[in-house]
Amino acid sequence: MLEFDAASKRFGDVRALDGCTFTARARRLTGFLGPNGAGKTTAMRAVFGLVPLDHGSIRWRGAPIGGGARSRFGYMPEERGLYPKMRVREQLVYLGTLCGRARGEVEEVVDGWLDRLDLAGRANDKVDALSHGNQQRVQLVAALVNSPELLVLDEPFSGLDPLAMTTMAELLTEVAAEGAAVLFSSHQLDLVEHLCEDVVIIDHGRVVLAGTLDELRAGVAERYVEIEYRGDSPEWTGVPEVDVVRAEHGSVRLRLAVGADMQDVVSLAERVPHIVAFTYQPPTLSELFRRAVA
Amino acid sequence: MKTPAQIWLVARREVRERVRSKGLWAGTAIMLLVVVASIVVPALAGGGAVTKHVGFTGDTPAALTRVVRAQGAAVDVTVRVHRFHDVDAGEAAVRDGDIDVLVVDGRLLEWRGRPQERLQTLVTGSIQLVALTERAGAVGLDADELSSLTRPVAVDNTQLGIAAGRTQEDETAAYLMSILLLMALATFGQLVLTGVVQEKSSRVVEVLLARMPARNLLAGKIAGIGFLGFVQVVLLAVAALVATVVVDSVDVPAVSPHVLAWVIVWFVIGYAFYAVAYGAFGSLASRTEDASSVAAPATALLLVAYWASLIAVSGDPEGGWARLASLFPASAPYAMPARIALGTAQWWEAPLAATLALATTAVLVALAGRIYAGALLHSGPTLTMRDAWRRRSARSQSEEGARMGEIRRRLDGGDLIALALALVCGITVATLTSDVIVGVAVGAALYATAVRVVHAVR
Repeated sequence: MLEFDAASKRFGDVRALDGCTFTARARRLTGFLGPNGAGKTTAMRAVFGLVPLDHGSIRWRGAPIGGGARSRFGYMPEERGLYPKMRVREQLVYLGTLCGRARGEVEEVVDGWLDRLDLAGRANDKVDALSHGNQQRVQLVAALVNSPELLVLDEPFSGLDPLAMTTMAELLTEVAAEGAAVLFSSHQLDLVEHLCEDVVIIDHGRVVLAGTLDELRAGVAERYVEIEYRGDSPEWTGVPEVDVVRAEHGSVRLRLAVGADMQDVVSLAERVPHIVAFTYQPPTLSELFRRAVA
Repeated sequence: MKTPAQIWLVARREVRERVRSKGLWAGTAIMLLVVVASIVVPALAGGGAVTKHVGFTGDTPAALTRVVRAQGAAVDVTVRVHRFHDVDAGEAAVRDGDIDVLVVDGRLLEWRGRPQERLQTLVTGSIQLVALTERAGAVGLDADELSSLTRPVAVDNTQLGIAAGRTQEDETAAYLMSILLLMALATFGQLVLTGVVQEKSSRVVEVLLARMPARNLLAGKIAGIGFLGFVQVVLLAVAALVATVVVDSVDVPAVSPHVLAWVIVWFVIGYAFYAVAYGAFGSLASRTEDASSVAAPATALLLVAYWASLIAVSGDPEGGWARLASLFPASAPYAMPARIALGTAQWWEAPLAATLALATTAVLVALAGRIYAGALLHSGPTLTMRDAWRRRSARSQSEEGARMGEIRRRLDGGDLIALALALVCGITVATLTSDVIVGVAVGAALYATAVRVVHAVR
């Protein structure tokens, strides 16, 4: 388990981390969310000692993180980077042996991943001879060369095409299922909602929301009603404690505040000539996010 | 993972990747060629007498051509005689460079451009001699008496070197060694610089630093590139030795195994010094385009130190300035081996200079390590030294805290140590240069720098 305990870091007048406290558990995918500049990258760098903390601590399995623990971590930085003139396999093996693994062991892991990601044929090419997509895959393997117990990925989905995103999602799920703690940042909230059980949302260096998605949803009293219909759009206003989140031709999403009367909502629904679907939902991750960082 | 193992892996990668580059091999081949050629070519060309072509036209005294030849032979100049029917043909030959001088009527010398002094003396002297002979005959001396009177005396020339027991060939060898050291230090220093900047600009540095401390990365890089430099310099030294044996010029003591061993040692020391500086400067730049401008101070020091030691040593290799240059860490890698080659260094001077240089490098490693670690993850505009230094300051609270704290404790009372050091160095300099003002200036500058360093670390 990775624990952030009141981690704080200032860059001049900017508080990049301000008492940041959360955990990322083994066997789980933890989505790390927050607006740009919230401190996500700083927090991830701090795990690897790349940013020294001013106050607070980060612990792995209850102990402060040192070089020994880090050699069992994998990291994919936001700024992707590899030696452009070095051969793919050689580079990956090099990065693996830097973690203190035996060469043979690393080679086995690297070959496995290269096979798995259809890169076996490019193993002896220089990195800069690869397409952008393939370079991204090599970058991912670079984070996996030491079969990490903790995998930290900064925006792993940015710049990927839809197919590559699916592959990445499957892969992260698999790594977590094998026992690793996986922490990744993303702005793609729909994707995080589908993929993760645990979510941490930070803003201005502080955790504003953290927990399992179910807990977070349950923790919010307001509910949402989504109605799909055929025919003319009626007027949705005029009911107390009910706001229109989104109204399009043929569908509407309504937010029901705590005191909303279900009877009023049903009467609202009756304003449409023909209902196709009616759902009563907790908030989506995207709605939780907006509430949290507002 | 253990530090030595990581340094070894980094160094191994540097060597493996760079051995594949054709540039390194081409550079080594060219330097080998220069070294071998500079030893073999003079040996092959040397010893052969100088040949001069002298043209004669008009009314030439019968004895003149013979006398010119004989006078030439006396000073190792072979004179080839050419005769021309008229002045025009002779002047044309001068203009074409076929002959060095045209003697018209035994009275007028025609040159292309400025007269060649040695040949001018030779021909003029011969003309005087022939005239003397003719006048002596007129006075009544007989031919035998005359020839015994005018028989040329062989005159030898010896060129004294600037150092006793050493010839000009030794000096040339010493200067050549300095130039090769400069080239090697610049080449491998630049490799460290571009290596550091490339890691930053390709962003691979963040992946690396997640796996190892910055100091291991810098140490491994310097060690790997340094190993290649060491191999190159050893190759050059061995080539120089083989070449001297092959051409049998054993009378050049500057190219002896003892001197060459010192050259290799000084390459290692000089490389350590400049590579650390280049590494620290390189980390300040984010783009490869900025690399050379950001490292300009290191390059300037490299070149100024070279010129200063060249001027000091060629002026007087036993003088105070030469001694100072050979003790000062930045210029010692050039000046000290040159003085060793010229046989003007006392036995204790080289170890002392080496100790000074290594001590300075150790201080530099501590400073550069912090700047390097602070600057590596910075992207965007080029950092200043001060910013890079400060970016690292918060590290004192994390795992490196204990280490930095220890260094700081050691520097407690650093002012006193700095003062003592400055005093000793100032007095040494003053004694060596026999110049009190220079000694005071050096001591004061050293004290000021040391105090600033101590306070910056605090």
